[in-house]
Amino acid sequence: MELIKVFTKSKCPKCPPVKEIAQELKKEGLVVFHYDLDTMDGLAEASFRGILSTPSLVIEDEEEKEIASWRGIVPTLQEVKRYISKRGP
Amino acid sequence: MKEEFETTDMALFVRTSEESMHGWDRQRIVDALLRETYVDLDTAREIAKEVEDLILTSKIKMITAPLIRELVDTKLIERGLEQARKMHTRLGMPLYDVDQLILHPNKENANVPHGPEATNLTLAERIKKEYALLSVFSEEIADAHMRGDIHLHDLGFIDRPYCGGQSLEYIKRFGLSLPNSIALAKPAKHPEVLLAHMVKFAAALQSHFAGAIGWDAVNIFFAPYLVGMSDRELEQLAQMMIFEFSQQAVARGGQAIFTDLNLYWEIPKHFEKVPAIGPGGEMTGKTYSEYIEEAQRFVWALFDVFKEGDGSGRPFFFPKPLVHITEKFFQTPRHMEFLYHISEVASEKGNTYYVFDRGETAKISECCRLSFKLEQSDFEDAQQPWKMRYCALQNVTLNLPRIAYLAKGDDTKLFSKITEFMELAVKAHLEKKQFIEKLLSLGEKGPLALLAMKRDGTPYLRMDRATFLIGMVGLNELVQIHTGQEMHQSKQAFKFGLKVIAHMKLLVEKLSERHRMRFVLEQTPAESTAYRFAKLDLKYHSPKSGYIVKGDLSRGEVYYTNSTHLNVSAPINPIERVKQEGLFHPLIEAGALTHLWIGEAKPSKESIANFVIKTFRQTQNDQIAFSPEFTTCNACHRTSRGLQAYCSYCGSKEVDGITRITGYFTKLSSWNKGKMGELRNRYRNQAFIETRGGETVLLA
Repeated sequence: MELIKVFTKSKCPKCPPVKEIAQELKKEGLVVFHYDLDTMDGLAEASFRGILSTPSLVIEDEEEKEIASWRGIVPTLQEVKRYISKRGP
Repeated sequence: MKEEFETTDMALFVRTSEESMHGWDRQRIVDALLRETYVDLDTAREIAKEVEDLILTSKIKMITAPLIRELVDTKLIERGLEQARKMHTRLGMPLYDVDQLILHPNKENANVPHGPEATNLTLAERIKKEYALLSVFSEEIADAHMRGDIHLHDLGFIDRPYCGGQSLEYIKRFGLSLPNSIALAKPAKHPEVLLAHMVKFAAALQSHFAGAIGWDAVNIFFAPYLVGMSDRELEQLAQMMIFEFSQQAVARGGQAIFTDLNLYWEIPKHFEKVPAIGPGGEMTGKTYSEYIEEAQRFVWALFDVFKEGDGSGRPFFFPKPLVHITEKFFQTPRHMEFLYHISEVASEKGNTYYVFDRGETAKISECCRLSFKLEQSDFEDAQQPWKMRYCALQNVTLNLPRIAYLAKGDDTKLFSKITEFMELAVKAHLEKKQFIEKLLSLGEKGPLALLAMKRDGTPYLRMDRATFLIGMVGLNELVQIHTGQEMHQSKQAFKFGLKVIAHMKLLVEKLSERHRMRFVLEQTPAESTAYRFAKLDLKYHSPKSGYIVKGDLSRGEVYYTNSTHLNVSAPINPIERVKQEGLFHPLIEAGALTHLWIGEAKPSKESIANFVIKTFRQTQNDQIAFSPEFTTCNACHRTSRGLQAYCSYCGSKEVDGITRITGYFTKLSSWNKGKMGELRNRYRNQAFIETRGGETVLLA
């Protein structure tokens, strides 16, 4: 099953819509991890993934390999789902 | 009175610091105590009398002023007057140390040659270092430095900022008009004169900064002066520029000016529409975009000179050429031709630094690896480029392995200790800032007149734009002590390293906001700090530290891994090293660099260019440099590839090795023991350099 990783910051104006997408995906049973770049753990994870801007959303497989990502942009829920459905069970 | 009689009768002479001999006069002790400390008259008189009695009973015939001062100090200690003793301290050096210094070279900085001027520099540095630790910094900060919790860089240059980024436009527009100078030069009309102004100004700046002097967009700002010049004339000018900066004729303490030349193949966006200043300081009526041909011809000629090397084929140690690689670079005609040209220099001589300005980022590089990302206000300044003058006021480095020893595996303790050390660094910056501001407040009549001059209406040193650097040494060893693994050994260990730097990054942001100052993280070059910290930790954190420090304990060649780098001896695929080390770079605002040691191999220019493009496109690495090794013969003056015990031309044993110590090339004979230990361990990527069809290829 895919993992969803969402990277946001508290003062980022474009972040709330991505948080909403993440919430929607969580409701649909996907595993969602939230990373706040204002925290040490969030910033470290973002750095490890090479994420330089917020909001960012990354879809990974079970081995944490990236399937798709949106960096510094807000995707639509449909766009995100397209990648999940391709790899979904 | 008995005592009066005895005093008059004393056949005692005092050697003073004013190169004269005086008869004994107790009142001089009283005067000094009242002038230099806060003790009252009665105490001063009592002390003077006690010291006199002591000298009298010793029946000594000749005494020196320093000894009298020390005797007075013991009396202050006996009375518990610690503050007064501190104020009354004499700064200086023992005879033995001065003797050693005059006879033997200084190895703290490999860029200082050995000679009378260098000795002067070192002697002055020693005194100023003591002064800084006693008088500029608080006891808490001085003690933290002495213990090796933190390192205050360039204490011997306490009365100057750390390093600076300059704009040629300043001297093009205002000429060479320096405070205290006996002659004023109007703006240059010819390229050779502009070069002469640049070199003289650089020497003047070297006297006012501790470290590097960086120059922005040198080939672009020279371009309006180069119109109509033949290839031969350009080649001559390029040669003059490089030799002027590489030879030690004009410099402080006989030390070459640590010079960075920032160069571009394209006209970067922020200079595209800027009106060009030409001969005589006049606006030419054109923008810099219209001088791209001259700028490109000049930068090409500069690299022709770097490719040749000096008179004996050695790489030039200075100036350092930093080529900025941007998106626009790849859209500019003939960029691949130029990339091959500079990559050939990287392979042959190693000089080229590749600085990656991705997206909308633009950077100015100042020091070994110190660079500043331009902000909105800088882009506004770019319309009047003579305003683009930057400085870092000081660099304070944290001993990260020390923090891990103290934390004893406890996460909470580790991160709170990092915070504690960072706060110490900030306090050190506040103290230095206050001191420099005091000197600057004396204006053009003060010791920093050059930095206070206001040729464009604002002081040359723009304090409001000053940066305060917080560096780090030994992240790799911190992780090793705390997790049991080095950063290249596991994903968890690597991620823990990122967590530490993320913590530091968030903290500098918070501290910047709190103090309204620009604190930024920097990868400290740590030429001697990596050695100093390792030695001090062997002293204070043994036996654990004995298993952690890198290098050879039996030779005393110990060191910690520089900044956030991975272990230099780990056989990691070079592009993987660039990728992994690059993950730290966005967190280190003041610049970062990955070294690629290539030993005696000469990878083809095509494979280096390919590596550079891959680095730009697929990593976040800020800057890379390829470092070959050379042997130079002191007998036949020829230079060969690789580090050899004998000259491969004449067989002489009188040879010296050359390679990068940290951010610059030097001779190995000037290296400290720690860096020698690192050199022996460096992995030279031999498994990733292959010969294919007669061509040497660096795999990427």
